[in-house]
Amino acid sequence: MKGIPTVLITVSPEVSAQMRPPRALYPKGFKIGNSLGRPNMRDLQKKVLRDALSLLTRNTRPGETVTIEYPEYGEQHEPPRVKKLGT
Amino acid sequence: MAISRKCVPFTPFDRELSKSTIAIVTAGGVHLKDQEPFNIADDLGDLGYRIIPPEVDPSQLMVTHHHYDHTDADSDINVVFPIEVLRDLEAEGFIGGIAKKHVGYMGYTMQLKAMYEGTAPEIANEIDKGSRADAVILTGG
Repeated sequence: MKGIPTVLITVSPEVSAQMRPPRALYPKGFKIGNSLGRPNMRDLQKKVLRDALSLLTRNTRPGETVTIEYPEYGEQHEPPRVKKLGT
Repeated sequence: MAISRKCVPFTPFDRELSKSTIAIVTAGGVHLKDQEPFNIADDLGDLGYRIIPPEVDPSQLMVTHHHYDHTDADSDINVVFPIEVLRDLEAEGFIGGIAKKHVGYMGYTMQLKAMYEGTAPEIANEIDKGSRADAVILTGG
């Protein structure tokens, strides 16, 4: 198997980082269930998908999550945190 | 091939996006309405996955997943499964094409080892052998 280049769009960056995705985009403040943005906001959805795919051709550090802000998304949401054992 | 638990499994991408074919793999529980829904009654989760064809009419897609609020995906599937967005990017020449196979699975399981060692390689094999994808976009719920 030669491997397949992937890029993840994550709305839970701390959680997904545990699986060490090779390339990841975190659209800042998007809520779970809104990976590409809100329903019917096609221009925003296109922008997010273009940005995600563009990570394939950028010299990103393996395992790095790139955060991009999209003000047109509107209300921001706090992403879920990883529960730390023993605290 | 076992994947190390420590390293990042990075596959370089040495193509131009405008000449590349893209597949979608989503953990958002997306499937065709006439496919068997994911089993949300089992507390251990569902290790299966569903193949979604590239020409799918979005009205034929639905979500079965009980660990996130998929109200928005119910009204516009593109928020987790951006098939129409990909079509737009293909039309404007940003990408070269849309893969022959896309995959939906339910990204909730208590059977992590089976997901990691069974389902994940099976999905990778579907993409590798049957989709002609040059790269994959991954989404969660």
